[in-house]
Amino acid sequence: MRKSVVAASIAAVVLGLAAGAARADVKFGALYPFSGQLALLGEESARGLELAVEEINAAGGVQGEKVVLVRGDAVDNNQAIGEARRLISLERVVALFGTYSSARSIAASQVAELAGVPYFELGAVADEVTGRGLKFLYRTNPTAEDMAKLAVEMIVNKVAGGLGKKPEELKIGIIHEDSNYGTSVAGHQKKYAAAAKLNVVTSQAYPASTVDMSSLVLDLKRRGVDIVMQTSYQNDSVLFLQQANEAGFKPGAIIGGGGGYSMQPTADAVGHGVIEGVLDTDFTQFLVNTKYTPGIEGFVEAYKKKYNGNPRSGHSLNNYVGAKLILQELNKTKGFTPDTITKAMKNLDVKAGTTAVGYGFKFGTNNQNERAAMMGMQWQNGKLVTVYPDEAAVSPMQFRK
Amino acid sequence: MDILLQVLANGLMLGGLFAIVSVGLTLIFGIVKVVNFAHGEFLMLGMYGTYLVTTALGLHPFVAVIAVVPVLFILGALTQRLLIQPLMASGDDHIQIFATVGLSTALINLALLVFGADIANTPPHGLRAPIEIGPVRVLAGQVVIFLAAIALVVGLQAFLARTQTGRAIRAVAQNRAAAELMGIDVTRIYALTFGIGAACVGVAAVLVAPLYPTSPNSGTYFVLTAFVVVVLGGLGSIGGAFAGSLLIGLIDSVAGFYVGSDMREIAVFGVFLLILILRPSGLFGSRLKLAHVSP
Repeated sequence: MRKSVVAASIAAVVLGLAAGAARADVKFGALYPFSGQLALLGEESARGLELAVEEINAAGGVQGEKVVLVRGDAVDNNQAIGEARRLISLERVVALFGTYSSARSIAASQVAELAGVPYFELGAVADEVTGRGLKFLYRTNPTAEDMAKLAVEMIVNKVAGGLGKKPEELKIGIIHEDSNYGTSVAGHQKKYAAAAKLNVVTSQAYPASTVDMSSLVLDLKRRGVDIVMQTSYQNDSVLFLQQANEAGFKPGAIIGGGGGYSMQPTADAVGHGVIEGVLDTDFTQFLVNTKYTPGIEGFVEAYKKKYNGNPRSGHSLNNYVGAKLILQELNKTKGFTPDTITKAMKNLDVKAGTTAVGYGFKFGTNNQNERAAMMGMQWQNGKLVTVYPDEAAVSPMQFRK
Repeated sequence: MDILLQVLANGLMLGGLFAIVSVGLTLIFGIVKVVNFAHGEFLMLGMYGTYLVTTALGLHPFVAVIAVVPVLFILGALTQRLLIQPLMASGDDHIQIFATVGLSTALINLALLVFGADIANTPPHGLRAPIEIGPVRVLAGQVVIFLAAIALVVGLQAFLARTQTGRAIRAVAQNRAAAELMGIDVTRIYALTFGIGAACVGVAAVLVAPLYPTSPNSGTYFVLTAFVVVVLGGLGSIGGAFAGSLLIGLIDSVAGFYVGSDMREIAVFGVFLLILILRPSGLFGSRLKLAHVSP
């Protein structure tokens, strides 16, 4: 009897010590697809988070404690759920960062919601991520809707004038891959185009795995489409640009949405001459006016130093800025309980033009960052340069004469 | 009228593409009746091979045929010997299907590991140049694919009909046990046939790589259609598979233009189902030979 009391008190002391030691560190989960199909950009996203944490720790941590990231590999939806459970109940992280992929984010954030642990989405674009009314889910990055909104805004404010026409005179064709991603962006494009009184002459879906888009190209050509908006992955971006060129279809402007359109291998595949002048709406990229994106040069330098190479896409940058601002906000409060974290997030208020991604931060309805915005880029001389909005542009938007 | 001709030309070129990818499958799936779900991944590996040879040595992509075809022949023969053959002995043909699905997934992930998820571009060396025939415009590379598909089909037909080995392959396909009794080394014939089928897809890979970007998923874009045309043509009929390819290509192109691109697959698979209902043995198949399924 006495022995067991002694054993129990020793155990209590040991546990207390362990807890005391752990208090020096505060754990956050880093949930991304680190292997499998999405590994390339999953890893790229996580690098941004890692750089943010390093910078925060170098400046004294959060509330005097060192931030430690615990990785979870969200290789598919089921594993995203399993890893979220492990991070929450075994690793006892105070919050999760993620996820790059919308499907993984939607799956894993439900686990966090049930456990009452805050989940910060820094890179997934699908509407449903914040559209489900979750209480503990926050999203810092712009969404599929922002992408569509920006494309239509560009047509009205810039492209129409550049082509010497009134916006409503232009014939607009919307084409998109037929999964959830393409369908939802195209849906928003139609909605915003209708609101701006644009003339959308056709909207067509196709499977992303298609090996031929020649009939679609002919159809757009026959209708005399002036502006094509495509939402696509890489394979179908390359296919469309090549087949449009080969069929002699030269619309006044092609506006791509993220995915394949922002990547250098796409430009190399279709040829720099063919992709010249093609527009693109996506996350903030690196050839941008640094006055509008203060801190972006420091980020690129830190990235190069740590990973021996240039950032492979804008994903790292978006994750970096989102994570950094959240951790800085947490530094202003006391404690890491879900309640203090959610309360702290109400105070996050950062103006556009003061962050390395350009856009500002304020959580609005459904905890979506209502100041998040995409930017407009254009392929010029084999490089993807920012051309919209004006304050972020490094080069004027160019049009075929 | 001009537009209709262009739509038909696009359809024929697409048909040629399906045909060249399916030729090897006709042999493996249509004649020897082994279901190889890794067929598309053989194509993908061949495309990467072409990419490597072309970019590393700066040669015309077609030169890669010297390296890619033998490598794929060996890969195919080894797949049969080491993976399929032991399973054939088990007496349950369904296990082969799972094995080749597993092989397919393994090869995709291997390619992801080695080449990454980014696309690889084989330099086209002029194969993307358009050729204008009257009002119609097609790519040089597409015409080459179309002609090569015809040549492969004719060559394979002649091989199966005229040579001793070709006759042995057909004998094994018709009745495994009887062929063995006649003194044919069935195991060797299986490995050989699988090798030839894989070599054919190697030829396809060399021709397709300059026109399409290569990624670990490239194979999956083609393989479903390949199975469709082999069944549509009538299992075992090489000419039938060729006709089936052209038919699918034309339907895809015409429906894509006149009905809408989201309706293409509905049209293609609708016609496929209709033909199977009306002619269960396919366009050119005499009747379904199912002896191999229930020996």
